Amino acid sequence: MQAEDPDARLDRHALVLAVWMPVGFGALALFHHGFGAGGVIWLAGGFGALLAGFGAHVIVNAVLGTGFTPREVALGLFLTLLALLALVVATLLVEGFAERYFLALTAGLAALGAAVVLYMIIRHGPRRAFEAFDVARQNNRRPANLLPHRGGRK
Amino acid sequence: MTVVILSCIAVLMALGLYLAAMVARAGAEPGRFAGEGAALPGWAGFFALGGVALTGIDLPAHLALVARFGLQASHLAVGFVLAALALLLVQKRLWLAAHVAGTGSPGEALAQHYGSVTLRVVMLTLAALFALPYAATILGGTATRLVEVAGGAVPRSVAVWLLAFGLFLPAVIGGWRATVLITAVEALLLAVVFAAVAGVAHRVAGPGFPEAALPVAADVLADRIPGVVQYSAGLGKEVAQGGPFTTLAIISGALALVGLVLSPGVLYLGMTLRAGRGLAFGTVWVLAGLVAGLLLVLGPVLAGALAQGPAALMDRLAGVELFAGAGLGLLLVGAGMLATGFLVTSGTLLIVRELVVPFVLPGVSARAGRLTARVALAMAFALMAALASFSPLSAAVFGSLALPLSVQLFPALLGLAFVRWISRSAVLTGLILGCLMVFFTEPPGLILFEGLFLDLPWGRWPLTIHSAGWGLALNLGAVLLVSIFTRAGAERLHRDRLHDEFAARWRTDFGGRGARGAIWSLSVIWAFFALGPGAILGNTFFSQPIFAGGEAVLGIPSLWVWQLLVWLLGVPLVWWLAYRVRLGMTQDDGLRPLNAGAAGRRARRAPAWIAAGLARVTER
Repeated sequence: MQAEDPDARLDRHALVLAVWMPVGFGALALFHHGFGAGGVIWLAGGFGALLAGFGAHVIVNAVLGTGFTPREVALGLFLTLLALLALVVATLLVEGFAERYFLALTAGLAALGAAVVLYMIIRHGPRRAFEAFDVARQNNRRPANLLPHRGGRK
Repeated sequence: MTVVILSCIAVLMALGLYLAAMVARAGAEPGRFAGEGAALPGWAGFFALGGVALTGIDLPAHLALVARFGLQASHLAVGFVLAALALLLVQKRLWLAAHVAGTGSPGEALAQHYGSVTLRVVMLTLAALFALPYAATILGGTATRLVEVAGGAVPRSVAVWLLAFGLFLPAVIGGWRATVLITAVEALLLAVVFAAVAGVAHRVAGPGFPEAALPVAADVLADRIPGVVQYSAGLGKEVAQGGPFTTLAIISGALALVGLVLSPGVLYLGMTLRAGRGLAFGTVWVLAGLVAGLLLVLGPVLAGALAQGPAALMDRLAGVELFAGAGLGLLLVGAGMLATGFLVTSGTLLIVRELVVPFVLPGVSARAGRLTARVALAMAFALMAALASFSPLSAAVFGSLALPLSVQLFPALLGLAFVRWISRSAVLTGLILGCLMVFFTEPPGLILFEGLFLDLPWGRWPLTIHSAGWGLALNLGAVLLVSIFTRAGAERLHRDRLHDEFAARWRTDFGGRGARGAIWSLSVIWAFFALGPGAILGNTFFSQPIFAGGEAVLGIPSLWVWQLLVWLLGVPLVWWLAYRVRLGMTQDDGLRPLNAGAAGRRARRAPAWIAAGLARVTER
């Protein structure tokens, strides 16, 4: 459910930016400190900041009666995959990285994933949340397939 | 670290450009470039209001003042509660006037209500003061800090022009809507960075405030207010004992903060907001709550850490965490950028909207009007940058007039909002006297008079009373006196039409006579103890309790506790006005257009002197 009015879309986009700018800067600083002298507790702080940003984004959606836009979902997935890739590469190539950070980073990424799953279950319910990923089941492209009495899901 | 800070500033500029491009791509009508018919979202309004309030006082300069004069200077931040109260009194009615009487900007609203072109000219002069010398002073300081951050790699004038160009681009692309959105987005970022940097600085810079007193000079009281009043001739003539911020300096300085939130740009921001609770949230939680709280709680902490200079603190912070140092740089430079961008753009667009398009280029198409606004923005940013780089002293001298002159419009705004017997002649008389008083208690008047004639026996802010206080006292006195004789004048009928509409459909319900008396009594009592002479009690109220006969070991200054207490007591007062009395809530149901009437139509006609001036140039 997205706002149709271009002004409303733009206003929402700016509000989302307003939320993520300070969160992003804070998370960046916390991760930087965590990978430097700080240690894993600061990394946890960084993930905490990201979770707070996600929570604020969900609140924005709830207040404005909108959901995540496809671009936001794509950006979130891309950044998560990038982080996972970086984790794997660093674990394989950087000496001592795995001993020091692997557990904390994996737990943090898992927490982010759990937050997303929790959000989807709360917003859509377990069935529709699962169906959002169940692409293979939607293999009948005939329009009649979408009719409720034919088992359509729309 | 320099690279990181410069990258952060570049990201801030890129963000502005991105948002402006998005606004431009949304394909709004050309007429909306200067804010015509803009229905800005409430969240943008309240964050932008907070951002302009926090940075419009020149945040780094305020912190430097606190580092120099201690908690007595920090006490000024309580004035934001007073500013919130004042804004609530006028902003809703101004918004209603915009929608009922069809007046789209503050100058137009005043001009039409009082049937006076002079008020429009005064408002536009104020807009120009904020847009040019005041903004130039802030930008000049920002450029100086940028040079410090960059280790002197960039000359100051280059920094000024780079910053001005970086601020000009979003404004010229996206217009008013983009400017407000950018201000709102950046305001939230800066507020968070402020809190975070102050916290880290407190840990890194060693035992600072509040464990230790602020490192002020030996003859300045670090954690006390130096009296109710001092019979000093004023700054530049005589040094006030213990510091210049007496209680009368604080309450009159708070009036200057009222001038900031009643500045043309901020009033215009409120008038272009969508109906809703944005004003209530902005005044209660953002202005009186967050902005005043940040400055009162964290201001002295950061100011104490900054006492050795920004560059030294930045290095120390970066030694612990690179982004903490970068955050400080971002705060000091970003604050200046935010204030400058908003002030220049709002002032220019107001001048274009109120003066250039209706009177100089009447009948011009919306597209040509947008081009006019863009050209005017280019000229304004160039002029402001030229002032900041080539004539910073003149900019500072004339910029000092902006805040105290701005508050002189308060009686006029109050007349539009509530007090129907305030007449045009009363407003104009008060305005003239108030402005003269401000002029001769600020550097421009003193320099001019002493240069031309003879030395005046007073300096800036005589008797430790800010020029805003001197001007407003004389202004209000004149308004009351003249109104006694002119309140039933011929133009009263015209003024009554708007007030009758307010009374019929938009009545302010205080909740009965008792509640009305309570709120005004509590406000006066609060102002007396928070900002006025009663604030002197805060010096020792908690460290030497009156009946205890001994000293209480608090570990923090008594005045700081007093400041936090009066701040916390002030916020519910603002809440009462904003939410219970509904002065912060607007709704667009039941708005009906009001005919401007003969006086209103007269105010919309091009003044003869402009028409004659144009005719001389164009008809030959």
